[in-house]
Amino acid sequence: MFSRWNWVACGFYLVLNICSPDASNGLVQSCGHIIPESPVLALGSNFTALCILNESCLDFGNIYASQIIWKIKNKLVPKEQYREINRTVSSVTFNDTSSLATPLTCNILADGQIEQNIYGITVTVGLAPEKPKNLSCIVHQVSRFTYVMTCTWNPGRHTFLDTQFKLRYSWPEEDFPDCIPKDVNNSCTITDIQFFVNTEIWVEATNALGKAESDHLVIDPVDIVKPLSPQNVSVSSGVLPTVLQLSWENWISNAVMALKFNIRYRIAGDTNWMEVPSEDTASPRTSFSVQGLRPYTEYVFSIRCMKEDGEGYWSDWSEEKTGITTEDLPSKGPAIWRIIDRSHSPASWTVHLIWKALKPFEANGVILQYEVTVRDKSSLSCPVKKYNVTSTNHTLQLPEGTYEVTLIARNSVGASPPSVLLIPASNSKAPVKNLRTLPKHDKLWVGWTAPNSYVLKYVIEWCLVSSSSDCIMEWQIAQGDVQGIDLKGIKPFKCYLITVYPLYADGQGSGQSVKAYLKQDRPSKGPTVQTKKVGKAEAVLTWNHLTVEEQNGFIRNYTILYKTIDGNETVVTVDPSKTEYTLSSLTSDTLYTVRMMASTDNGSSTGPDFTFTTQKFGKGEIEAIVVPVCLAFLLIVLLGVLFCFNKRDLIKKHIWPIVPDPSKSNIAQWSPQVPAKHNFNSKDQMYPEGSFTDVSVVEIEADDKKSFSEQDLKPFDLLKKEKSTSEGHSSGIGGSSCMSSPRQSVSDSDEGETTQNTSSTVQYSTVVLNGYRDQTPLQVFSRSESTQPLLDSEERSEDHSGGAESTAQRQQYFRQNGGQDETNTDRPCFERTKQITHADEGDLVGFVQLQISGQSSQPLGLGMEKNTQEAALSSVLQTCTEGQTVRPETVEENPLSVDEMPKSYLPQTVRQGGYMPQ
Amino acid sequence: MAAADSPSAALRRDLCSRGIRLAGKMRADVVDLLDAYVEQQGLDASASVEAVEGVPLAAVERWDEQTGTQRLLENLAAYRAFRALLAQMLEEQREQLGEADAGLGRALAAVLLQVSAFAYHLEELLRLESRGTPDEEEDGPPPPPRLSLFEQKLRGLGVLRELAQWAVRSVRDLRQLAKPSPATGAAPSLAESP
Repeated sequence: MFSRWNWVACGFYLVLNICSPDASNGLVQSCGHIIPESPVLALGSNFTALCILNESCLDFGNIYASQIIWKIKNKLVPKEQYREINRTVSSVTFNDTSSLATPLTCNILADGQIEQNIYGITVTVGLAPEKPKNLSCIVHQVSRFTYVMTCTWNPGRHTFLDTQFKLRYSWPEEDFPDCIPKDVNNSCTITDIQFFVNTEIWVEATNALGKAESDHLVIDPVDIVKPLSPQNVSVSSGVLPTVLQLSWENWISNAVMALKFNIRYRIAGDTNWMEVPSEDTASPRTSFSVQGLRPYTEYVFSIRCMKEDGEGYWSDWSEEKTGITTEDLPSKGPAIWRIIDRSHSPASWTVHLIWKALKPFEANGVILQYEVTVRDKSSLSCPVKKYNVTSTNHTLQLPEGTYEVTLIARNSVGASPPSVLLIPASNSKAPVKNLRTLPKHDKLWVGWTAPNSYVLKYVIEWCLVSSSSDCIMEWQIAQGDVQGIDLKGIKPFKCYLITVYPLYADGQGSGQSVKAYLKQDRPSKGPTVQTKKVGKAEAVLTWNHLTVEEQNGFIRNYTILYKTIDGNETVVTVDPSKTEYTLSSLTSDTLYTVRMMASTDNGSSTGPDFTFTTQKFGKGEIEAIVVPVCLAFLLIVLLGVLFCFNKRDLIKKHIWPIVPDPSKSNIAQWSPQVPAKHNFNSKDQMYPEGSFTDVSVVEIEADDKKSFSEQDLKPFDLLKKEKSTSEGHSSGIGGSSCMSSPRQSVSDSDEGETTQNTSSTVQYSTVVLNGYRDQTPLQVFSRSESTQPLLDSEERSEDHSGGAESTAQRQQYFRQNGGQDETNTDRPCFERTKQITHADEGDLVGFVQLQISGQSSQPLGLGMEKNTQEAALSSVLQTCTEGQTVRPETVEENPLSVDEMPKSYLPQTVRQGGYMPQ
Repeated sequence: MAAADSPSAALRRDLCSRGIRLAGKMRADVVDLLDAYVEQQGLDASASVEAVEGVPLAAVERWDEQTGTQRLLENLAAYRAFRALLAQMLEEQREQLGEADAGLGRALAAVLLQVSAFAYHLEELLRLESRGTPDEEEDGPPPPPRLSLFEQKLRGLGVLRELAQWAVRSVRDLRQLAKPSPATGAAPSLAESP
């Protein structure tokens, strides 16, 4: 119990000791302290600290040195580094201070567990300053009398401590104030510098760990001066065109410092400086004449200076000043060449003289004019012609011949040496050989082998080949002893035509040309290919050459690439001179895709795809099939015709059967006047009575329309009109049909009266027919030739034109092959069977033969009262109109018959070989 | 020849050469300073000024008969006097103008430094002549009496004029010393000097 209270009291005392203010020792009465207090330690050295406890703490709190623990920044220091010196002192040792950190604290474990801080110190670790090295000084001239000396040095390694540097200098018997660097540690500037006294200069570096001093530098400041550059530099032209006079002012008097100079100069616009030899300017001066300059050239000058003996530093270059030398005679004549145009007349030349303006260093001034002198060498009597020209070309009209052209350039000082060009009548001399080119970076080298004869000069012409414009020629002259020159200004990927002419003393050689590229590229596009002709197994491809602008190099070959949709690509290489190629061994009726590639030395470009399809049949194959087929057809037709010709009788019998003439029937005999009144033609006579039963039907040719006259067609039109109001007219007696005479069907015609009479005098008879082709007629009619009226009622009914009573106007008809229309027996009509016609139903109906009796609009035919049959009827009529062949004799004969037999009725036939009047 | 090749001879030659150039520069600077001083102080450049007390006259009779040590001692005495006078002038200048004309003050300070440097050259040469330098207190000028402002200006003008003359003479003296003469380097001759 006592022990517990004792420990509690002890802890309370410790807290009070640490935290409570003390009147004598400040705010905190510590239980101990550390020695040394806030040390500055050298990095890497060893260090020992002592923690000393106060005796008072020992007595009251039972605190001893054995309970001390050391911490570095809250990190416990291993106890191996502790040492208990006595009951109040504990030490800790660090072999390397680099492991130290701030703070280093001394702590105590009260009651073995409660950690209490006793004291702490700040540890500073760093390095002593190194000896400053490489001390050097330079004296800058600031103004005419002001010099400052700036010294620099290498401060050495970083010390991690606050290190002071100071530049010190002194005379042997006089010290000067130190120069303290501002913001830096490696340089300082001294302002009160005196020349001609050896000055000792050094640097001191000082920090908490030590002091270091640089080597001492003993110099006279005048020997390390960098003077100001000369001022007020001026350039003036001298008497000579190759001299310029420079003058300037120095900032330093000779009494203080003798100077030497450097003079540099360059041509304005050039970047390369030239220097006056240094030995020429090694003595003090304020002017200098620069010689050996080019006339009429602008030069830029600059000067610098330094101490004459070479001690110290060169000043900066002065500001640049320019000057122009005076003019001099042109040093050489202009290079001259000519272009001869013989296009107008072979005997008269248009000579374009062209020359190059002299370069500035050749012109030596402003060229005022050129003097051109032309002398005809072929005629000594011709006077020399002189021309003054200000441009660089001149055009002359000269007759063909040999001329000597002399050119002089003139400036304000005088004339140049003459340039002579011989224009011979012909370029008959030997040309250069082995003309070749070679690209050299941005230049194109042109080389040749000289002819055997001595050559004065060579003229090299070149021009950019263009498809859209003329070749604009450039030229250059090379001396006769060279065999190659570099052409400048050549553009890459452009084709140049280069021609070299050798000029001899007595003539000119013919030009040799070569095309060249400075640099080649792949063509800018490929050729556009298309087919010229496509066959079954081959296709002719054509294309146009690429323009020279598109080529970008020499086209070495064309490549044709073609393939089917699913096939492999086939490649064909074609000579670049070709513009056409035939692809062979193609598959017929196949879609091909073809494209073309143009290749230079540097690559290829492909043109657009083109597709074509090979043909299914080859040339002549179709003809080989069609011609035999046609021949066979013709042969068959011919045989058919021959067969028909041979069998014409049989065919005629089947197609145009002989229709018996009713007039020759037996019943006609009881009509006494008939035989005498009827005028039968010979044809009618041909039919014996025995063939009376035969009925022939004629097929109407559709194309015979034209054979009808207008008059013939008119009644049918009227009939069509009438059809709208009267339908179902039955045919007349004797198998009347649509080919019935119009006279019987038109009531208002000129013959209307006759027709009316006829209708009013219908002859009634009974026709007895034999069976046609062994067929038994279904009904037998007897025909009466009597002109007497029948019953009164019948006459009355006839008086009602268009009467509706069919029974009053009784019609009779023939039915061929025994028609089945039993129900219409009251309306007899004639109807053809389908066996006869090849036409369709319409045509079939067309064979419904109508006979309109007089003015009666009584419906006729096969009971066609229904309106639906009106169209058919109209069609019939139309068909009949178009198809029937009117026999004029029949039309003409009827009036005569009427006149002779006004009250007789004769069935009419309008079809030749068809329905014949009986 | 052996003496000429010795380090002391080379040092002597170097000191003489440097002293000649320093004296030349000092003369040029003093001439420039004179113009600035006359203009700044409002004096007449042609004004005659009596000899400055405490400064040996540059003009001397039988100059060519003087020994080297004698020349050095006279030069040293003169330049020590100039150093004191210039320092006094600089102090008076600062008292009168403050920092208003720092240029003139800097020029005076520069000339003062040159005078000090030249005096150092002379002391070194005397040391090479195996002759100790006299104490400055012994040969120094007496303290100047209290003068009026105008008198101070006139005295300053006189100091600068005399310094300019001394600079010329010093160049001649050092050139004479630089000449390889048996008499100049002989200790007895120095001993004979007053």
